[in-house]
Formats: sequence, C-alpha cells, structure tokens
Amino acid sequence: MKLELGLIQIKDIQFSKECKVENGTLFVNADEVKTFVFGDDDVKACVKDAHFDIAKPGESVRITPVKDVIEPRVKVEGPGGEFPGVIAKVDTVGTGKTHVLKGMAVVTAGKIVGFQEGVIDMSGPGAAYTDFSKLLNLVLVCDPVEGVHQHEYEHAVRMAGLRAASFVGELARNVKPDEVKTYETYGIKEGMEKFPNLPRVAYVHMLQSQGLLHDTYVYGVDAKKSLTTIINPTEVMDGAIISGNCVSACDKNTTYHHQNNPVVEDLFAEHGKTLNYVCNIITNENVYLADKMRSSDWTAKLCRLLDLDGVVVSQEGFGNPDTDLIMNTKKIELAGIKTTIITDEYAGQDGKSQSLADADPLADAVVTGGNANEVIILPKMDKVIGTLDYVDKIAGGHAGSLRADGTIEAEIQVITGATNEMGFGRLSAR
Amino acid sequence: MSYRVVHYINQFFANIGGEEMAHVPPELREGAVGPGMAFNQEWKGEAEIVKTIVCGDSYFAEHEKDAKAKVLEWVKAEKPDMFVAGPAFNAGRYGYACANIALAVKEELGIPVLTGMYEENPGADMKDKVLIVATTNSAAGMRKAAPVMAKLAMKLMKGEKLGASCEEGYMPNGIRCNFFEKERGSKRAVNMLLKKLAGEPFTTEYPMPTFDRVAPNPAIKDMSKAVVALCTSGGIVPKGNPDHIESSSASHYGEYCLDGVDVLTEATYETAHGGYDPVYANQDPNRVLPVDVMREFEKEGKIGKLHNYFYTTVGNGTAVASARAFAKEYAQKLLKAGVNAVIMTST
Amino acid sequence: MRRGTDYLILTNNPLAVQCMEEWYSIDYLEEGSYRDVLVRVRDLVYAGHTLFTHPLAGSVKPNETPYRSVVVSRAPHAFSAEQAEIVSNSLTAFDKFPKKDRQWSERVLSDFQLVDYTLLAGAMDFDAAAGLDKARNKIPDKNKK
Repeated sequence: MKLELGLIQIKDIQFSKECKVENGTLFVNADEVKTFVFGDDDVKACVKDAHFDIAKPGESVRITPVKDVIEPRVKVEGPGGEFPGVIAKVDTVGTGKTHVLKGMAVVTAGKIVGFQEGVIDMSGPGAAYTDFSKLLNLVLVCDPVEGVHQHEYEHAVRMAGLRAASFVGELARNVKPDEVKTYETYGIKEGMEKFPNLPRVAYVHMLQSQGLLHDTYVYGVDAKKSLTTIINPTEVMDGAIISGNCVSACDKNTTYHHQNNPVVEDLFAEHGKTLNYVCNIITNENVYLADKMRSSDWTAKLCRLLDLDGVVVSQEGFGNPDTDLIMNTKKIELAGIKTTIITDEYAGQDGKSQSLADADPLADAVVTGGNANEVIILPKMDKVIGTLDYVDKIAGGHAGSLRADGTIEAEIQVITGATNEMGFGRLSAR
Repeated sequence: MSYRVVHYINQFFANIGGEEMAHVPPELREGAVGPGMAFNQEWKGEAEIVKTIVCGDSYFAEHEKDAKAKVLEWVKAEKPDMFVAGPAFNAGRYGYACANIALAVKEELGIPVLTGMYEENPGADMKDKVLIVATTNSAAGMRKAAPVMAKLAMKLMKGEKLGASCEEGYMPNGIRCNFFEKERGSKRAVNMLLKKLAGEPFTTEYPMPTFDRVAPNPAIKDMSKAVVALCTSGGIVPKGNPDHIESSSASHYGEYCLDGVDVLTEATYETAHGGYDPVYANQDPNRVLPVDVMREFEKEGKIGKLHNYFYTTVGNGTAVASARAFAKEYAQKLLKAGVNAVIMTST
Repeated sequence: MRRGTDYLILTNNPLAVQCMEEWYSIDYLEEGSYRDVLVRVRDLVYAGHTLFTHPLAGSVKPNETPYRSVVVSRAPHAFSAEQAEIVSNSLTAFDKFPKKDRQWSERVLSDFQLVDYTLLAGAMDFDAAAGLDKARNKIPDKNKK
C-alpha cells in the first residue's frame, strides 16, 4: 500500500470574508465554517452555540478545556476520503494522495462533563509540555443545548471538530504541496522477498476503549467491540482511527496523534534500511477482564502468524490499560518476539510511588513519557479560549489550584499530550 | 565566603597504606587530602574542604558503631554545608563505609551528603538511601568522577533542584524525575527495539520492579531417602569464627563439617552476624541452624540423612550480587555431593 | 448483555444501582468510598471470587471521582494469583494519589456517577441508555406485575 502525503506549510491563520489557502496563509470565514459544521443533524440538535478563535505560538493564550485536536487533510487522489466511516464513506483509505495542512490544527474546546480537562498554553512553562503549543490553532468552542445527554453531546462535538477539519482540509485540495512524502508497505510475501535480511517489525497500537468519554473509533467502529486486528500504517494517516477519548489529557491520544502517529513515522524512517515494517496491529483496552485476555491472546497470535521479530507497543490512558500493556507484552515475548513498550508514569508528586499499576520482568525495554504527577505552576495568560470554570476540577488540578491571580498549580496531567504514550513528545523520566 | 565541606576517605587514599593498614582508627586532618584536592579544584573557591576524616576500612567494618560515633562527633563540631565520602570505586568495604557514614550524617545531622562508587560495589545497594554517583571500577576514574561529584555537591549546597539521574550522573534512587530527552519517545522506542533485535545492550527507561523469584523445583517424592543440607545467612560458625566471616557486608562464606555433631552447643558454635542481637543464637545455635532437629529426623527415618557439610555466611548488608556468587559456588558442591534438598535459614 | 446469576456488582454509585438492580445482584456500599469498594473487592478475590472487571476502569483518577463499580462472582470459585495481583496493585495505585477533600457540586457528582455507570454498562454489554431512561422516567416494567 502506497500513500503520498502532500505537505502544505501553513504559516498564518486569519479570519477573512473568504475561505482559502494562499501562500501559506489560511483565510477563514468563521460563519461559513460554522454553517458547514452545523450541517450535521446531531451537531444541530446538541450544540447550542459555537464560535471560532485563533491561537498562535508564543501568544499569551490558554486553551481549555480541550476535547480533541485534529489536523486538516483532504484526499486528492485514490479511493475514499478523510475519516472513513465517520465523515467519508467506509472505503479503504491509505493509498493515492492526500494533502495535509502542516503547522496547524483544529482544536475543539468546551465543557463535555463537569470535570472536563485539557490545557494547551501557547507560551510560558506549560507550552514546553505540549507540542500543540507550536501549532497555529483554529479553536472551535462549543456550548451544549441544555439537558442534552453527555454521550450525545460528546458525539456531537466530536463530529463538529471532524467536520470543521474536513472543511478546512478541502480548501487545500488544489494547492501545490511544499513537499511530498511517500510511504509504502508491502504484502507479507512481497516484503519478505524485498527485504530478506531485515527483521520483521510491527507496531502494536493499543486503543482506549473503556466506555463513555474513553472511546476510539476505527472506520467508525467502536474499538471495544472489535477483536484485535491488522491495519495498514498508511490508513491511519487518512484518519481511519479517531479519538472519542476525553479523559486523562496528558496521555490520551487525540485524533491529531493518530493522524501523525510518531511510531508509524519513525518505523517508516527505518523501513527498508534496518527493519521491514510489516503492519500495525490494533488492539483494545476494555474493562472486562476476559476481554483483556482475549485481546492480548489475539495480539500475540497475530504477531506469531505474521512471523514478526519485534514490535513496538504503545499504550493509551491511566491505570486499567497498564494491565493490557503488560498482558500484551508478556504474551508477545513468550511467543518469542521482542518488544519495546511506550508508557507513562504515575509515580506520585514526589516521584517515589510505583509508576505503573502492573509490571512484569519480561517488559524489559520501556520508554517512558514521564511522570504525570509532576507539579507545575502555569502563570496567568492574557487570554483564555474556552473557560477556566473547570480548572479546579480537572485531573491533577485540585481545589484552589486556580489562584486568584489566574495562576494554576496543577500536575502536568492537565496538559494535553504532556506524557503521550505513543512517544509523541521528548518528555521522559528516570 | 565559600561553602565548607567535610570529606571522608579511607587509609589507602590518605596514603597510609593498603589492606595491611586497614585497621587504623578514624583520624581528623585539616584541609583536603588526596582525592579531596580534585574537588577543591572543581569548586574554584566556591566551596572548600575544611576537614578530612580518614578511617581504615577494616576498622569501620569491625567497629562500625564506634567509628560512626567518632565521625559524627567531628562532623557535628565542624557544622559543614556538605559531607562528601569517597569515591570508593570498586573497593567493597570502602564503599560500604562511605554509604553508611554518609547515611548516618544525613540522618543524624541533616547535612546534605554525597558519595561515589562503582555500580557493583556492595555499598551501591544503598543508592535509594544516599545519593551515589556512579564511577568506573578503578581509581583511574577519579578524573571523570571529580567534576560530576563536585557539580552535584554544589547543587546540593545551593539547595537547587536535582535533575534526572541520567543527567546528573547519580545512580537511579527510586525517585522518578522528569526531563526532556533529545529525541522523542517513539524514536527512542524504535532505536531500543533495533538494539534488542541485534542482541546489543540497551537500557530501559523504567526498570520494572522485580523480585528475584525462584521457581520451585519439583517436590521430592520420598523424603525418607533424601540427603538434606543445611545452609544459612544467619552467620553460624564454629566458635572463634576461624574463617573470619565479616559481621556485615560479608566477602565470603564458610564450609564446615558436621561429622559427629549431633547438636550445636554454646561451647562449640556461635554467630558471626552483626545485625541482630546474638544472645539467643549464641546460647543455642540450633535456633538458627537446626542441626538438633535434623539429627532427630534422621534417627526417625523422616529424612534419609543430613549432609555432612553446612554452608554459612552473614546476610547483614551483604550485596545481593555477592550472595548470589557464594550460592552459585556452593550449590555446585552440594550437587556434586548428591544432596537432594536444602533448608536455607535466615534471621 | 452479559447475563448470568454469577455476577455481583460491588458499587457505591447510586446511579448504577438505579439503572441495573433489576438485572443484577448488587452489593451497594451506600456510605462506602471508592477505596472501600476496592477493599471489599480485594477481600472477595482473596477468598476465591472471580474478578470480572478491572478495578481501575476508566482514566478518571481515583482521587477525582468518588464512585467505583466492580464486578466479581457471587460465589467463590478458585483463588487466582493473577487476579489477586491485579486487585492489590489497584489498591496500591489508589493509595499513591494524594487525597483531595473536595466538595463537588451535584452536577459534577452526577457526571462522575454517569461515567462510572457507563464504564460498568460497557463492560457488561448492558444497554446504558435504556437503563438511564428506566431510572429517570421510572417507567414500570411491562413484563413485570
């Protein structure tokens, strides 16, 4: 499967009468985007009001509570469209050509539940902990219709964000990319013949799938209802996996993380040189223990079936998924396949507690995204996009964490993507 | 005004002599001695060693209580900003002394402490309790160790927040500390996997908490025919401790014959262990090494026979690596002698 | 829906009780904390009850939400060292979070109840929305006298 990504560098975003991408600037007519977003019945029924704002790197701006971050993309050649099974039809994606608006994102913000979380600071000490501070962010702030059920509203805001990103992506359809990157993986036999001497490596991608506010969708399918399966790495670049996860800001994988999965990117960088990148194996993180056993059994079984030599395993979320991570790792290692795993830690504010809720000596190659309990002081920002109403209530914040002067004292787990378990950031711990 | 530091070194680094002079008691000297000069150079006047305490390694091991009391008294009188011990490199008993005296100073006097040694030095077992800089295994590593230790000591004196162990050069001490790596996590994971696939050494960023679990052997079907040996880390030795097994941080084990011994008595056996009150073990050494009961079992036919040698060492502060090495060696002897089962007692 | 007479829900979440009590055996720890639920689960698992759902379900941190629902077997079957480890590790993980004595508004509490309930419903493949309608509207069950 071969996919070309045409990268279009966005250097500025401006509100304007017209919607277009020109010379690296995205011009947005907010009303026009809004009309498109509200073209969806669920959005219309559940979202009372929505407005757009722009946040740029280096500005004294705080975006909170952040729900999702999405990169605008558009399919320009080949079958299917972005976000298959959700926005586009369910055609298989991952081939042909896709245009990407680099350097920017659509961010959805606003309350989903009363303890909503997720902070992106565009400057100051908090900015170092989230790569989204380096992007030009087109922020869509939503308010719910009174009385709407939380699960319906979560779905509506998810759709609103994806629709806004699709609208913006569409503006780049006829823009000439600044750079074209090609990604290609091969069939099993084809790959073995092409790289007979390279180790066969896959990516075991664990998806959060525990329930309301903790879900991930693959081609529109709720991941908790799926068995462990195989997906081509280029499919995820076309939005085959989207986030419905609103909890644990620091280590949830936003849709942007899925589209720009760093493990996929870094395995491709070695593909054909030091390893043969075979495929991605997606597996879920369910609550029911028998589901965990079954899913991890299947992961190990698929690894063996594909005759793999090694895998990188990534995790999503806190606590319960540690058990899935260890089950997967243990079973894959016992099948004779080498693993390295990416996780993050909850070692307490003093760093002295046991980091994971589960452990096994077979997990002997661990990369960590850092200790999520580390306390940080986030200074007051001149402007807040969204609301600070929930800062007291977000995970890692505590009563009084929002001081009278606008300063926030909280654990870094409030920051979107701070300890990402795909290894998106550089934060680590020893 | 510069920060004031007290430095602890052993007889060897004070140029008194090697093993033959290891018995010398603690001695207080003015200013820096030996390796202390290297620290003074690094600090460039910002801090200075005001006193150096020299103590023989054997003296410390054999008179730990007295040695500690003396050192604490001197350090207390000096009211320094910092206490540095070593570095001890691969010298086991020196490392043990450095870690223990540093811990005592930290706990008793509340003064920041730092020591340094090789990772496999038995003293490094205490890395969770005192800050220990990882050094090479010989004194040739002083040139590398001095700047690292001096910088870390300066941070401690200034009360600055320490970075992660891998940045600062101290041994991981169980306190997780965040920092930014040069490469993102996914890249590090791919690189680690490539090393693992190639069979090259790699370092995990989070060592899983593990216990040295030993899978049990299959049960013995007929105990009445089994040869059973007794082993202990409780320090039971023939009276007089003929092989000089150390009361702590033991460097070797003992092998003693039980031919004709039906019961251990106060007159013939004792414990060499310095980590528990020895009164009851000395009164009746069978309490730790149950030779009396084993002989009864032998007579009653419950076991085939008691093996005629027992193996013993002191578990007090003895490095896990040393203990493992002892057992590896005598396990072969037990196998060779046809022993079917071992009862290992601890205290 | 996972049906079976062997399921026992241990919970301190009133919403879970309202929505599910007609279908499942529930041990409602009305005055109990999140930790009390975990301790009860631990004791049962140590006594040989089967653990069906992960005690740390959800990414909401244990010092945030006051609610917890865990499913075990009603009867003891056989001791499982693996499950005992999961449940004791969960308690260890719970205890490392500092206590935050925070007064939540009714609104936030009901959101926490909802998330805990939906995680439980998801695990049991139970129709969460139907349960909610039932609890909210108190529609009498037509099949029942």
